[in-house]
Amino acid sequence: MIAILDYGFGNVKSVWNALDALGEDPYLAAEGKELDQATHLIIPGVGSYDVAMAELQARDLFEPVACYVRSGRPLLGICLGMQLLGDYGEEGKGARGLGLIPGQILSFPDSSGLDVPHAGWNTARLRSGHPVFSGLPEHSDFYFVHSYRFVCAEPEHVWGTTDYGEDFCSVVGSQNVLGVQFHPEKSQKKGLRLLENFCEWDGKC
Amino acid sequence: MSNLKTCTRCGLPETYETIEFDEGGVCNICRQKEFRDGKINWEARKEQLNLLIEKYRGKYEYDCIVPFSGGKDSTFTLHYLVKEYGVRPLVVQFNHGFFRDNLLKNAERTFKSLGVDVMTFTPNWKVVKRVMKEALIRKGDFCWHCHTGIFSYPMHVAIKYQVPLLIWGEPSSEYTAYYDYRDDEVEQVDETRFNRFVNLGITAEDMEGMICTDFDLDPRDLLPYTYPKMRDLKKLGCQSVCLGSYIPWDVKKNVQIIREELGWQGDEVEGIPFSKYPYEKIECYMQGMRDYIKYLKRGYSRVTQMTALDLRNGRITKQEAEQLIDEYEGKKPPSLELFLDYLEMTEDEFNDIVMKTVVPPHKPDFDSMEVGRRTWDFNRWYREKDGKPVIEEKESSRVPEMSL
Repeated sequence: MIAILDYGFGNVKSVWNALDALGEDPYLAAEGKELDQATHLIIPGVGSYDVAMAELQARDLFEPVACYVRSGRPLLGICLGMQLLGDYGEEGKGARGLGLIPGQILSFPDSSGLDVPHAGWNTARLRSGHPVFSGLPEHSDFYFVHSYRFVCAEPEHVWGTTDYGEDFCSVVGSQNVLGVQFHPEKSQKKGLRLLENFCEWDGKC
Repeated sequence: MSNLKTCTRCGLPETYETIEFDEGGVCNICRQKEFRDGKINWEARKEQLNLLIEKYRGKYEYDCIVPFSGGKDSTFTLHYLVKEYGVRPLVVQFNHGFFRDNLLKNAERTFKSLGVDVMTFTPNWKVVKRVMKEALIRKGDFCWHCHTGIFSYPMHVAIKYQVPLLIWGEPSSEYTAYYDYRDDEVEQVDETRFNRFVNLGITAEDMEGMICTDFDLDPRDLLPYTYPKMRDLKKLGCQSVCLGSYIPWDVKKNVQIIREELGWQGDEVEGIPFSKYPYEKIECYMQGMRDYIKYLKRGYSRVTQMTALDLRNGRITKQEAEQLIDEYEGKKPPSLELFLDYLEMTEDEFNDIVMKTVVPPHKPDFDSMEVGRRTWDFNRWYREKDGKPVIEEKESSRVPEMSL
């Protein structure tokens, strides 16, 4: 069973719809114990980093998510859900993250002169070899909308990059944890393919 | 079509859908074919087909569904799958309303000699007529019910019978570039393809909105033309592909095989030289009308397409092609009379509608059309007057002998 973490806000419905179209029967997990039966976990997210982390803490989801990840089952973070995988996010008042993948979530540098948020279709250059990228071209377009980006501490955790004034990390991954800055649930065929691959992933890579 | 730019190799004109010409004036359809013949690893493709068949064999009520019109391609596909793989298929035949006698005889011989289960579905004729008219008015193409029905109905059957594998015949890369052989990908016969060029940009939901104000429509009437929900197809694990994506498609050879093995007979078709092309589009007695509209809209018809295939394969000279095109294209088909009766419109009304969908730079000339020859079975075709059936004239005729 695919669990979608429900921590009070985020794009839960559109992720649910995409999984439903793929023939999956996802459920919303709002409490830690509801992760026990999950074969796969998706952390969606649209909103502010510090508020999201506060919500996770208020619902006592911090440890259950860490426990889920330790079990080796696959986790996918989408957009803010991807950013929460890191150590620290500077958005709002700033907040500690889940600390699953080393890195900080920082705003785009002003020097680029490009509009923030980065909103619209853009290309992710995917590193080859990840099971969740199966059947996707090395250069695949996805839909983005975000103002901060994941600055990875370890280059080996960078699984995809995207150019927006600079190359930023649009896919992070470490073992059974994967995070995508873009919205696969809003990215047509390639996004659905990525979600479908995730649903079939055993968490090994 | 002298004013149109044409491919220097196959002769297809610039009004042909998806066509592009390179610096040498050769079209993309010809280039695709070069890639198909020279670059695609057909041994590897055949291996993929073996795996696909084995993946589904014996696990469901049927090993696969074969959508079947009874024309050369679906007949060959069914024959090949039964003979080469010994599969137990469910044959699904969507009756568009215009099956011809010879086609039905062919189908009977094919089904009986291969030993297969068959289901035929015929949609409501009153609805068919109404949507034919709507599609003609909006797109200059009355075949919406047939094309959407052929490609969506078997998918519904797949879900109802829980049979996930569907195998169609000829890939569209053989004749258009909606899917380009040069991408070296297996064309999926799915909703994307359906929306890309099958349904004329009109979904069944669109059609409902277009006709519900003047037609006593039950929304369920359009279900056969509605593509099934992606969720249902995904849950089933549906795979829908063309046999021609796994073995190189050779129409002439395929026809030879089904003729010898199944007694498949070609037929006369309005506007097509029977002695040269007795095997093409024999399944529908509105085919002449479809080709006539194409001629009016785009300045060429089926003969140009047939000679293009032969030119590409080096089976005919340009001069021979031009002779055939001059002699056979641009004739008014006798079926026009039946068609106008079905749709209860005059020829002038029909011409006005078609005029609005003409593809530039072609300019049709409605006035200089002579009427083409009737086929042997013309008097057996279903007729109506003021919405009521007319008893066909008695006439004993036979299918002419086919020569290849």
